[in-house]
Amino acid sequence: MSGFEEFARDAFSLSGIPSKPEVLKGIRVLELATRIFGPATADYLGEFGAEVIKVELPLTGDLMRYVAPEGFFWQEISPAFLPQNRNKLHVGVDVRLPEGRDLFTRIAEKSDVVVENLRAGTMDRWGIGYSQLREKNPGLVYAANSGFGQWGPFAKGRASYDATAQAVSGMSAITGFPGHPPVRVGLWIGDFTGSLFSAIAILAALQARRRSGEGQLIDLAQAEALIRALDWTWLYSDITGRDRERTGNRDVTIPPSGIYRCADGFVAVSARDEAERSAIARTLGAPEATPEAVAAFAAPRTHAEIVRISEEAGFSAAPVQGGRDQYRDPHLRARGTVWELDDPLYGRIDEFGPVPKLSESPGRIKWTAKPVGYHNEEVFGSLLGLSGEEREELERKKVIGRWADAPGARPPRGATAGPADGGRKEGPAR
Amino acid sequence: MRGFEDWAKEATDPKNAAGKPEALPGLRVLELSPGHFGGMVAASVLAEFGAEVIKVEAPGGDPARNYVPEGIVIAGTGLPFLSEARNRKFVTLSLEDEEGVRIFRRLAAVSDVVVETEGPARMDPLGLGYEFLARDHPAIIYLSLSTYGVFGPDASRRVKDSDILCQALSGVPYVTGDPEENGPGEEFQVPTRTGNWHGWFAQGLWGALGVLAALMHRDATGRGQMVDVAGAEAMMKFVDYNITWMHTAGRERRRTGKFDPAVFPYTYIRCRDGYTFIAAYNDEAFESLMHIIGRPELAADPRFRSGADRTRIENEKVLHAILEEWSGTRTADEILREIERYTSKKSGHGAAVVTGRVNRPLETLSESNWWERGCFSRVDDPVYGNLLLAAPPWKMSGTPPRIRSVCRPPGADNEEVYAKLLGMTGRDLSSLRARGIL
Repeated sequence: MSGFEEFARDAFSLSGIPSKPEVLKGIRVLELATRIFGPATADYLGEFGAEVIKVELPLTGDLMRYVAPEGFFWQEISPAFLPQNRNKLHVGVDVRLPEGRDLFTRIAEKSDVVVENLRAGTMDRWGIGYSQLREKNPGLVYAANSGFGQWGPFAKGRASYDATAQAVSGMSAITGFPGHPPVRVGLWIGDFTGSLFSAIAILAALQARRRSGEGQLIDLAQAEALIRALDWTWLYSDITGRDRERTGNRDVTIPPSGIYRCADGFVAVSARDEAERSAIARTLGAPEATPEAVAAFAAPRTHAEIVRISEEAGFSAAPVQGGRDQYRDPHLRARGTVWELDDPLYGRIDEFGPVPKLSESPGRIKWTAKPVGYHNEEVFGSLLGLSGEEREELERKKVIGRWADAPGARPPRGATAGPADGGRKEGPAR
Repeated sequence: MRGFEDWAKEATDPKNAAGKPEALPGLRVLELSPGHFGGMVAASVLAEFGAEVIKVEAPGGDPARNYVPEGIVIAGTGLPFLSEARNRKFVTLSLEDEEGVRIFRRLAAVSDVVVETEGPARMDPLGLGYEFLARDHPAIIYLSLSTYGVFGPDASRRVKDSDILCQALSGVPYVTGDPEENGPGEEFQVPTRTGNWHGWFAQGLWGALGVLAALMHRDATGRGQMVDVAGAEAMMKFVDYNITWMHTAGRERRRTGKFDPAVFPYTYIRCRDGYTFIAAYNDEAFESLMHIIGRPELAADPRFRSGADRTRIENEKVLHAILEEWSGTRTADEILREIERYTSKKSGHGAAVVTGRVNRPLETLSESNWWERGCFSRVDDPVYGNLLLAAPPWKMSGTPPRIRSVCRPPGADNEEVYAKLLGMTGRDLSSLRARGIL
């Protein structure tokens, strides 16, 4: 074992994480957001120790609770709701009612960050927008995530989903094969990429606040985040007056890099420089490493064989993986990228762990998403100091509330406070 | 509402950024990312927020300058590099030479952050790994970007990190593109990469987030740390509910092309001038859409009545064809207007009919919205000319990010950086240059 391996084994050991500090401990994030582009922003902060209070409408809550792959709920919760809602405190508040608005404002006064993704102007109309909240809390960092921004020609009331951003940004037009339709990336890439952009700006704004004591408004439009991510597309169109074409699976910038069909699936072959290109050419016994030659080389071989050959020859290759491969990958488990979580309510559930691994103040997943209003007592009682009577009164008026008796919103059947499923992976509901 | 919109525009319009403070002034970042776009993205993000980034290139320039789609070169540099070289100082330094390595160490000693993409296998033997640098400079934050990360069973795999490797391992191509329908697929019915370098991009963004988190720890303790980001894992995190679905149901996301397992319609449809996105997947929105296309009776059709009916693959196919029958005679803008005319009278779920043209890049550039929002910046550079860059996407009222410069030739800032930071004289520099170290 080399010196570095020894250092890394200690510095990044998963078992050492619980005793290390969380960097965002003491930062309170108030989330009023649904689906992905908003909840994921808060989740990324929660991974590093921020206390995230997720406000949902009583009963139904975040509509993402009902986006269930092939209609599947596990222990009464959708596996599609979990990944962007870990480490959060769930409260049910109807912020459209005056008393709900007051509760929200009182939490915001005690918060460092607000994350919301409602249509532009909605929060302001409800009296809980940035201009109102900063009156009460000038240090507040307020992230408004939206499809088209808080102002500008497209901002007014135009709804947007992830794929709107993929479409209008130009990303889809450059993805896919020449002569075939543009391709929508098969995941909510605009939502997640935008969420990450938003979390970065929040951390930058917190740095700025250390100096000035002042918070600020962050207006991030999902489509604009994708525009930023399209590398040389804009320079190229501006200089040539032409559209960047779809080139399928070939990275024309660094040929013959690309994804190729092999005997048991697909494999990425990569050549970043001349050394790797000549290694490929040598391996193929060809004068030049053309994509056609690589395709012919890859077709009859397995991806494992191609990766082995690449390592010996001095170029780079990796298999095209899916979720099943990743779920079973010991490397990803050793890194906590597939995070093995013991949740107090649901029992064992494996999740995506934090992406950046920090040696001194690592991120971590402490619990997964919970039913609507699951932490009402903790937040309204301990944080706001409301008495039991006051809470009951607010419940009676439907200002605060818990879950609807429906899959997606409610706790697992027969759940008590402790681990519920005794390690079973399959939930009772379908 | 008008009031807020006006206030927000005034407060966050990038045109008003000049003169406002920056979020990360005084943060010095040393970037060593030869041939690596992800490292450039990480450093760019910090630089857009005001960090001072010093990019170290080998004498002769970064290999990434030679990434030249269609052979387009401007003053010796390709477009991908130019798109991500903003707001930096450019120094040259040979790490093949011991004195060059010593100089790098001196630069690191006066920096807050190191961004590197060479990995411990190269950096440690040079004495430039985290452990070595932290010994004299415990506050250093050291970001290492690689394909597999610096620990774990695959960390020792010998690859030169690239976007295509990160993409392949991430699971994004696996769920993107058209599925094979009958028998062996056509050439295009395969796992499909994103056309842009999204793998590298996501890696750089996560790197920037990791550095900002580490800064908070340093603020509290005075101590730096190592931040490890694996490119494979960067976009992996974006593949929805892949891991939780595997865990709870033993199922993984697969590619479904224009169809969708959970919501429909949520798809691209052909229109008279290309393609447009259309979504109307809750019952009320679907009914709205059927009214808009003049087929209200279909909302009650047993094939499309509920979300579960509409997401049966055979019904998705029928519905897709019906939608294209309507859209084929209209332009994307006409479709947008027809939908907005209808949904503006609705509220709540029934208004959730969403559309947007699948813009070709020139179409995006032709829409005034993005220009008004300051999404693009035209920068005039004495060497590289007039270039169009994607601006930082965040509109911020207090410390807005901004573009200060586009690119500089290799070593353009040698005098300034080496003299100011390391106190080198003109004679030192000539000597280093003569020996090929600068």
